[in-house]
Order: sequence, then structure tokens, then C-alpha cells
Amino acid sequence: MLSISKLRHTFNPGTVNEVRALQGVDLRLDDGQFVIVLGMNGSGKSTLLNAVAGTFLPDHGKIEIAGHDVTRWPEHKRARLVGRVFQNPLGGTAPNMSIAENFALAARRGRGRGLTWALSRDLMDELRARVSTLRMGLENRLDNAIGSLSGGQRQALTLLMATWLRPSLLLLDEHTAALDPKSADQVIALSDEIIRREKLTTLMVTHSMQQAVGLGDRIIMMHRGRVLHDIQGAEKKRLRAEDLLDRFDEVRRREQLDEPAAALLQELYV
Amino acid sequence: MTLLLGAFTIGLILALLAMGVLISFRIFSMPDITTDGSITLGAAVAAVLLTKGHNPIFATAAGTVAGAASGALTGVLHTKFKINALLSGILVMTALYSVNLNVMGRSNVPLMQHTTFATWGEKLGVTLFRSEYLDLFGWRVASSDLAVLGLSLAAATAVGVLLFLFFRTHLGTAMRATGDNAQMIRALGANVETHLILGLALSNGLVALSGALLAQYQGFADAQMGIGMIVWGLASVIIGEALTGSRSLGVTIIGAVMGSVLFRLLVAIALRWGLDPNDLKLITAVFVFAALVLPGFIKKLRRAPVAPAA
Repeated sequence: MLSISKLRHTFNPGTVNEVRALQGVDLRLDDGQFVIVLGMNGSGKSTLLNAVAGTFLPDHGKIEIAGHDVTRWPEHKRARLVGRVFQNPLGGTAPNMSIAENFALAARRGRGRGLTWALSRDLMDELRARVSTLRMGLENRLDNAIGSLSGGQRQALTLLMATWLRPSLLLLDEHTAALDPKSADQVIALSDEIIRREKLTTLMVTHSMQQAVGLGDRIIMMHRGRVLHDIQGAEKKRLRAEDLLDRFDEVRRREQLDEPAAALLQELYV
Repeated sequence: MTLLLGAFTIGLILALLAMGVLISFRIFSMPDITTDGSITLGAAVAAVLLTKGHNPIFATAAGTVAGAASGALTGVLHTKFKINALLSGILVMTALYSVNLNVMGRSNVPLMQHTTFATWGEKLGVTLFRSEYLDLFGWRVASSDLAVLGLSLAAATAVGVLLFLFFRTHLGTAMRATGDNAQMIRALGANVETHLILGLALSNGLVALSGALLAQYQGFADAQMGIGMIVWGLASVIIGEALTGSRSLGVTIIGAVMGSVLFRLLVAIALRWGLDPNDLKLITAVFVFAALVLPGFIKKLRRAPVAPAA
């Protein structure tokens, strides 16, 4: 479903602020795989997600989604295949428009928008039905502006919007990072439910070991713009939060040596 | 009374300008200075076609399309060439000044001798009311004035309703979202650049329509007539919001129309009371200031002051 090959990207090349965000990433996601992406700050995980989403065009490499080579596609063109939930609860909804209108927009993701009525009866009926499954009481407030809702409610709605039309690929960019623990748990439970039910191919970035261990069937750990560990299948199922912490510690220890020394040690002892 | 009717009529014609400014300023959060140029462009194109004997409907439509094109140009400058929004508007407005002069051939095109909407209105008035003058609440009014007022009201209402309906369609909703959260709508597949260009085209098309009708009403098109019109438009929108609030789109549109009419009435009354026309722009600024500040001030007064603990 998703195929990334030799992805490289440098921000601000040649300047003081140069950041080699992605240094050769190869990744293949099968249909229906739920992959968690972990990594320390600056490891390139959000950059990877943004590259797949089309927020910027990468320097090198190839990205394929559902068989289409989307490497040069602009973001809005990729929207046809990709559903996104942003880290910032303010990022995925239009605050001054009503819940219903936001969903009317989501219902046309990747499709043309013409002069047909946005809030049609069919949409409103389906909207009420789907929103009531959230059990947040929002189905009675469909005409309220989204700006009046809490962060957790907005992320839940953004998730529903991103999956309203079944996306070929779902991108979740630390979507609970800005929420309080209770809302975060609710949104994670909702995410898991939707992903399992629709068998969505998902790429989720998170900082939380709990989420990484509890969700999905594969973990990618990134470091310095490359994939360091790729844990799947039975190994992933056995994984506990402590194991992940150990691996992070290992990376941190390695960081304390500079690169040539680390390479020398690796050559000598591995 | 004639003064009052005139103020109402111009207020309604310029309500179209207000609605155009509403789109660029409130929906896209973009101060679009193109307005000063596009209103004159609409007037110029319509006037020149009318002097050549064309049908007023065709002439007005052509003026509208020309204005829309200039709005689209501003949009292109901003999105494709990444020029700052304000600057894009200024560039196009500046260029339009020469374009308008070229279209008109001179700085003023009189329309008194030609068939325009105003002449249609006059004929309609006489036919409808069966006389040249009417008795309205004790005032003697020209039926043609009344008919033209009626036509302006019809035009403003029609455009307002169409605009409201448009912004409830999928395309219109997407355009509103472009101004509200561009990142979100891009992730939902909308080409933000195209929507912005379309929005500015629509906005300036309305402004040009207003110009075309204004020229036909006042009987001439003048190269200077657009100067400062963006301020009238903004003032109408802001006064309108102070009157009706901005709870929903429909309310905002009605507010813009009311604001335009009220503003013109206030100016007409001020002039009648002997205000020096030189001070007109100063009074405009004071009115807009009041409209911006009063709603918040009134809200503060309503909140009962908390008594200090004894």
C-alpha cells in the first residue's frame, strides 16, 4: 500500500540551519498494516510523515501510495488517497465553521467540489448516526462552531473526518500529544477501533511507549533520519514498554560517542 | 426626501461593493486594495459599451467580468508569484488606473444621453405609477427615483441571496474553509490557490458590478471614482457587523447591506446639516472608529460593576 524508497531530504542545505532530516529511508507497508513510528526528537519521524503527506517535496527518493507514484504530487492531490490527523487539535478543523460544515468538507476529500448543496439531508442523517457512535453528545450540536469544542473532541472529530471516506493510507502525527491523558486515551481507543474495523493501512507517529506497545502490529524506530529498528510479528507482540526503553537507552549511549568512534567500535566488535 | 431616496439608492448599489469586500476581507482575511481599481474598471467598461449603444445588461455584465478578471489577477500574483497579499492588490490597482483611462479614452465618460439602467428605471417608474410625481407621506417624489430605488433594492437582494446560496454549496463551503484553515482544506483535497483566485475574482466581480451600476445611476464614469472605495466597503462591513453581529454568514451579508445604506444615510444627513465636503473622509474615519469601538464598549457597560468587599 505504501512504498518508500531511498528517501532523502535536507532542510536549509548549505546554511547554518542545515538539517539532514531524512538520510535514506526505505519502508514498505502492506495493505492493512498498522505501523507505529518512534524516535527521539529530531529523528525524522514527523518529517517522514510530512513527506508522505506531501507537505514538501523530497530531494531524493520515491513514494508510492496504492500503486500511484506520488513523489511529485502536491499535497491536495494526495489527499485523495491520504487521511490525516494533525498533532495540533486546531489544525484539522475549521474553527469558525460548524461541525456539520466541517464534515461536509471531509465528505468530499479528494473529490471535486461543485455547486451542489453542502449540507444535504443524506449527509446530515449519516453524520448524526456516525457522530453518535462517539458517545460525546455531539450529534445534538452539529450546527455549533467547532471552535467551541475541547481539544479531545476536536481530535475525535478530525479522526472521524479523516476516515469518513475510506483512505488508502491514514497518517496520525502524534495526534494525542496535545491532549490531557483522559482525552488522549479516548482518542486512542477510537483510533484503534476505526483502524481495526476498516482495516486501514496506518502510519502513526507517537512519543508514547504505551501507545507503541499497545497498538498496531509493527514498530519502526527512527534515528538520525534512518530506520534503526523494524519490529514486527511475534516479536512486536512480545514487546513491552521496558524493552523499548532499553533500545532508546542503547541509542542514547551510542550518541555519546562521536560518529567515527562509534563506527570503529561497531567494526571491531559487531 | 429626494436626498434620502438618493442616499438609499446609492447605499444599495454600493451594498454590492460591501458584499465584495466582505468576501475578500472577512472570508479570506485579505485586505484587497484591488477594489479601488476594479470598481472603476466595471464602471469604465460598462460606460464605454453603453456609449457604443450596447444593451445595458450586456454592458453591466461585461463590466462585472472585467472586474472579476482583475481580481483573478491579484489572486495569481499572490499565489503563483508569492507576492504579499496587500502588495498584489496595490499592484493591480495601480495598473488598473492606466487601464481604465485607456478603456475610457479620457478621464470622464458622460452617460446622460444613453440608455442605461437608470433610464429603464425612469420609464418603469412612470409606467408603474402612471405619473411623473408621487405623493409619499406628504413629500413630493419623482416616480423615476422610486423605481430606480426599487431596482437597486432588487439587485442588492438578488445578489445577497445568490451569495448566501453559493456559500452553502460544496464549492462555497470549501472557499470559506480556505480562509478559515488553509492547512486543513489542503489536506482534504482542495487546491487552496485556485480557491483563493476564484474568491478574489468573485469579490472583485461584485465590486465591478457595483461600479457599473453606480456609473449608470450617477450618469457618468470617472477615472477617480474608485479612489477610497475600499474604505467605504470596509466601513459598511464593519458597521454592519456592529448592527447585526457576525453569528452566521446570512446575518453578515444582511449586515453588510444595512451597513452600506446606513453609512450613506449618515453621510447624506451630515452633508445636509452643513458638513464641509472637505471633511467627508474625516467623518468617514470617525464613523468607522465608532462602529469598531462601540459594540465592545456597550458590552463592557452591560456587565454590572462588582461591588468591592466590605
